[in-house]
Amino acid sequence: MNIVARCGAAPRTLNNKECLMSLLEIKNLRAAVGGREILKGINLTIGTGQVHAIMGPNGSGKSTLASVLAGRETYEVTGGRVLLNGKNLLELAPEERAGEGVFMAFQYPVEIPGVSTSYFLKTALNAIRKYHAQDELDAMDFLQRIKDKMKLLQMDQSFLNRSVNEGFSGGEKKRNEILQMALLEPRLAIMDETDSGLDIDALKIVADGVNALRGPERAILVVTHYQRLLNYIVPDFVHVLRDGKIIKSGDRNLALELEERGYSWLDGATAAA
Amino acid sequence: MTPAATPAVSLEELARWFEREHSLDAPWLAEMRRHALAHFRDVGFPTTRQEEWRWTNVAPIAHTRFQSASPADSVEPLRREIFHRMAPYAPRSLGGYEIVFINGVHAPELSTAPAPAIQITTLRNAMARHGEMVRAHLGREALWEQNGFAALNTAGFQDGAFIHVPDGVVVDKPIHLLFFTTAGRAGTPLLVQPRNLVLIGAGARLVLACVYAGQDAAAALTNPVLEMVLGEAAQVELVKLQRESDSAFHVAHEAVRLRAAANLLSLTLNLGGGLVRNNLSVRLDGPGAQATLNGLTLAAARRHVDNHTLLDHACANSTSHELYKYLLAGRAGGVFRGKILVRPGAQKTDARQTSKTILLSDEASMNSQPQLEIYADDVKCTHGSTTGPLDDEQIFYLRSRGIAAVQARTLLTYAFAGDVLQRVRYAPWRQYLEALVAGELNRLHIEKTST
Ligand SMILES: Nc1ncnc2c1ncn2[C@@H]1O[C@H](COP(=O)(O)OP(=O)(O)O)[C@@H](O)[C@H]1O
Ligand SMILES: [Mg+2]
Repeated sequence: MNIVARCGAAPRTLNNKECLMSLLEIKNLRAAVGGREILKGINLTIGTGQVHAIMGPNGSGKSTLASVLAGRETYEVTGGRVLLNGKNLLELAPEERAGEGVFMAFQYPVEIPGVSTSYFLKTALNAIRKYHAQDELDAMDFLQRIKDKMKLLQMDQSFLNRSVNEGFSGGEKKRNEILQMALLEPRLAIMDETDSGLDIDALKIVADGVNALRGPERAILVVTHYQRLLNYIVPDFVHVLRDGKIIKSGDRNLALELEERGYSWLDGATAAA
Repeated sequence: MTPAATPAVSLEELARWFEREHSLDAPWLAEMRRHALAHFRDVGFPTTRQEEWRWTNVAPIAHTRFQSASPADSVEPLRREIFHRMAPYAPRSLGGYEIVFINGVHAPELSTAPAPAIQITTLRNAMARHGEMVRAHLGREALWEQNGFAALNTAGFQDGAFIHVPDGVVVDKPIHLLFFTTAGRAGTPLLVQPRNLVLIGAGARLVLACVYAGQDAAAALTNPVLEMVLGEAAQVELVKLQRESDSAFHVAHEAVRLRAAANLLSLTLNLGGGLVRNNLSVRLDGPGAQATLNGLTLAAARRHVDNHTLLDHACANSTSHELYKYLLAGRAGGVFRGKILVRPGAQKTDARQTSKTILLSDEASMNSQPQLEIYADDVKCTHGSTTGPLDDEQIFYLRSRGIAAVQARTLLTYAFAGDVLQRVRYAPWRQYLEALVAGELNRLHIEKTST
C-alpha cells in the first residue's frame, strides 16, 4: 500500500489540521492516450483544507493526471474511479466539473484571440454561478470583484481589455491562471507547473495569491518538478509520481530530500510499491 | 417601357427578349447591349473547366428557366406587401438615405427623399437627365467583355441606383441600396439584374451599403453589377450584405477604381444565398490609393459561397490589405481566390492578403487560393491562408472554466467573426452587423447541436 496521505491514515498530524472529510478520492486510476497507458493505477485521497504536492521527473504523467481530473478528452480513462465529495467525477463534462469546483491552472494556457479577458472571466463566473442556481453578476458587480482580485496579484487593469492570454509573457499567463482561480473560488485547485518560467518575484506573487485561497473548505494539488515553489506554498503532503504511479508519499521533507538527491534513489521504491 | 408579360424561358431565350424590351434605350446604350448580348451568346455561362470557375459550378443556373423580372412583378399592392415582409431585413434603425428595389424595380414610394447636394436616383432617371455622365462611366469599370454574367447584366439590366457625390462633399448619412427579391407572379424563378453606378468626387466621403435580401424558396438569380469611381482623396466605406434565401443564386460584379490617395474600405458579408459568387475588383490607379477589403462568410446546409477578388495595382505607391474569413458548417462549401496584380512600374506596392476558414463540420469544405502576378521588383506582397476546425485546446480551456460546450463554440466562432466586423469604421453599421452576426451564429450552433 503506498497511500500514506489517506484520511486518518497519515503518518502524523501536520499543521494541526484535522481531516474532516475527504474531498477527492482517486482509486486505482488508469488512463491512456493513443492506446499507450500513461497512468497506471493512481491512488490518492485529498481532504478538505489540505495542500498536496505531486512531484516527479518529466514525462512521469503529472500533467496527464491533472488533465484527466479536469476532463480533457484526449485521455481515455481505462480504469479506476474518481470521487469529488462522493460524486463520480469521471462521468461529468469538463464544464460540470468546473461547476462542482474543480479548477486546473494550465501548464500551457492557450491564447484566445478576439475574446477579451474581461468577457471571458465574466462568462466563466456567471456560468459557475448559474450551475449553483445563483443570479448572474451584472457588469458593475463583476468589475468590483475582479478589480480586488487583480490587486492581489498585482495585475494591471489593462489586462481586462486584452484578448485572453494573447501576447502575454509566460509570467503573465501564469498570473492570469491564478487570477481565474481567485475569481472562481474552486473547491479543488490543481496547479500544473505554475512555477515554471517564473522569476522569483513573480513566484512570490503567485504563491501569495494561492496562499490567500487556502482555507478549510478548499484543497490544493500542486504539480511541480522543482521543490522551489513548495518553499512558498507549503504542502501538507508530498507524493512522488514516476512512470504513472505514486511510488512514495511523505510530508514536505520528502520534497527537500528529492531536491538534494534527485529521483534515482527512489528506484528501489518502485519495486516496493 | 411596357410591362410586357414574359414567358418562363431559358436564359438564351431571355436574351432575345432583352432585345425587344430595351428598344427604347439611347442609341449608345442599345449598341452596348447588343455587343454584350452577342458576347454572352458567344461565351455563355462559364464551366468548371475555366480556371476562374474551377471551384464553382454554375450548371444549376444554366439549367434553370428564369423569367426576367418586369414591373409587373412588383405592382401594387404586391410591392407594398413584399416590402412589409422584407422590412426586418432593412437597416431602418441606421437612418440612411434609402433606395428600395423590389424584384429589380425601383419603389419610389418606399424610398426616402433625395439628399441635398448629392444625386441619389435611379439609373434610368440619370440616363434621362445626365446621359453624358452615365455614358462616360457605364460599362467602363466592370469588364463585361471578359465574363458571361457581367455581359448578361449589361445586355439586360433593368434599373439600379445612380449616385453622384460632387467634389468635397461629405455625405451626412449612409446611403442604403436595398434589393428585395421574391418569387415572380407565377412562382417562377426571377432573373433580377440591378446595375449601379456610383461616382465619388475628389475629397468626397460616403458610407454606402448594398443589402440583398430575399425570403422565398424560389430560385431567383440576382446578377448585379456595381461600378464605382473614387476621385482623388475620396473616401468610401462600402458594405455589402447578402441575405438572400437558401435557394437563391447570386452572382455579383463589383468594380471600383481608385484615383490618387483615394481610400476604399469594404466589407462583403455573406449570410444568405444558396449559390453565391462575388467578383470584387479594385483598380488602384493613382499614387497613395489604398484599398482594404474585408470579407466574412457564414454558411451552413449545402450553401456555396465563392469570393473572387482582384487587386489591380496599376501605379506606384499603392496599398491593399485583404482579410477574408469563412465559417462553414453542414455541407457548406467556400471558395476564396484572391488575385493581386502588380503592373509594370507599380513600384512600392504594398499588398497583404489573408484568408482564414473554420470548418464546423467534417462535411464542409474550403478551397482557398492566392494568385500573385507581379511585374515590378520593388514591392511587398504577402499572403497567407489557414483552414481547420475550431481549436480543441481553446474549447477545453473555456469548458474547464465552466462554460458549456455549445457556448464555448459560439464564443470562439464569434471571436473569429468579430475580428472582421470590428474593422467596420462607421460605428452604427458595425454595431448593427455585430448584433446580426451574433444572432446568426447562435442559430448556426443550435442547428448544429440539434442534428
Ligand atoms: N496527448 C498526448 N499524446 C501522446 N502522448 C502523450 C500525450 N500527453 C502525454 N503524453 C505522454 O505521456 C507521458 C506523460 O506526459 P505528461 O503527463 O505530460 O508528463 P509530465 O507532466 O509529468 O511531464 C509522456 O511520455 C508524454 O509523452
Ligand atoms: Mg507536465
